[in-house]
Amino acid sequence: MLTLKLQIIVAITIISALCIIINMIRRKSLELRYALSWLTAGIGILILDLFPDLIKTIADIMGIDTPANMLFFLGFCFSLGLTFVLTIAISRMSVRMKKIAQELALYQKELESLKSENTKKET
Amino acid sequence: MQKDYPRKLIIIPAFNEEANIEKTVKDIEENAPEFDYIIINDCSTDKTRTICTQNNYNVIHLPVNLGIGGAVQTGYIYGYRNGYDLAVQVDGDGQHDPAFLSKMADYMERSQADMVIGSRFIDKKGFQSSGIRRIGIRYFTILIRLLTGQTITDPTSGLRMVSQSVMKQFAEDYPKDYPEPESVVTVLRNGKKIIEIPVVMRARNGGNSSISMNKSAYYMIKVTLAMLIARIRDNSRKENLC
Repeated sequence: MLTLKLQIIVAITIISALCIIINMIRRKSLELRYALSWLTAGIGILILDLFPDLIKTIADIMGIDTPANMLFFLGFCFSLGLTFVLTIAISRMSVRMKKIAQELALYQKELESLKSENTKKET
Repeated sequence: MQKDYPRKLIIIPAFNEEANIEKTVKDIEENAPEFDYIIINDCSTDKTRTICTQNNYNVIHLPVNLGIGGAVQTGYIYGYRNGYDLAVQVDGDGQHDPAFLSKMADYMERSQADMVIGSRFIDKKGFQSSGIRRIGIRYFTILIRLLTGQTITDPTSGLRMVSQSVMKQFAEDYPKDYPEPESVVTVLRNGKKIIEIPVVMRARNGGNSSISMNKSAYYMIKVTLAMLIARIRDNSRKENLC
């Protein structure tokens, strides 16, 4: 079902994508924590691409007649899971961001009142 | 006057209130002189910041816009850390009349309540909000009665006075947006006492309500869900920070 040509194209695409991701982690523009799911997804696709018989085997195990449908289904599940994990991350970040902003503002306020107290004492 | 609550704080959340903030502060200084106040400037994009600095107001400037919940919560943290006995929220748009604050504090002390809400709908005087909004508020009243068994006639009122224990609770955990009805459920669920007293509110001086018409459907759904979750939430768990 997969032609050799397509197999090679997919493999090259995935490998270069993996290289870009790893390079971004190396340059610290991407956190390993958040890149992990992309790396595993890339490696998973690469394995399926190199061993196309696996696709059929998995589809048989899951009881899906058309292997392509299984690919769509798994891809969809993966995207859904990833978005959900990101939503959790955003929630946590926004709570933290709020707390940091509040603390910063409160300290700024305290600093200013200390400053004005000091100038009062001096004069 | 109130012996139990000598230190009283007014929290004024202000987002782009350049037209009203001076009037609000003057009003407070004249009509509620025994209260301290703190303005929380929620990263306004207009001249609110300059006005506050020029007049030497007691103000906290938030570095990013946190929305009404985060701004008011900053006030509660400030009040709690500075040892205030009670705190009351007065909106910066001039809807709330500071003349009622002393009466609210008296009432709070006499009844030993943890929260006093200024309600528009007990005496039905003054600005009553538009018809469609009143229906929404009535719906929240019914929902709160179903969830907690208590009747709060004006659950969306921003004019709310709280004791030190509720201040502590709000400092730790306060809804982000549209906080009023949700926090009423949380406070009641923590076994605290809420009473209402009749107040007269004015129509806003300027600016716009935070709830516009096309946001109202989202508002109703979001607040309903938030109230249901507040009813079943595990209150012993704090916001996950560290």
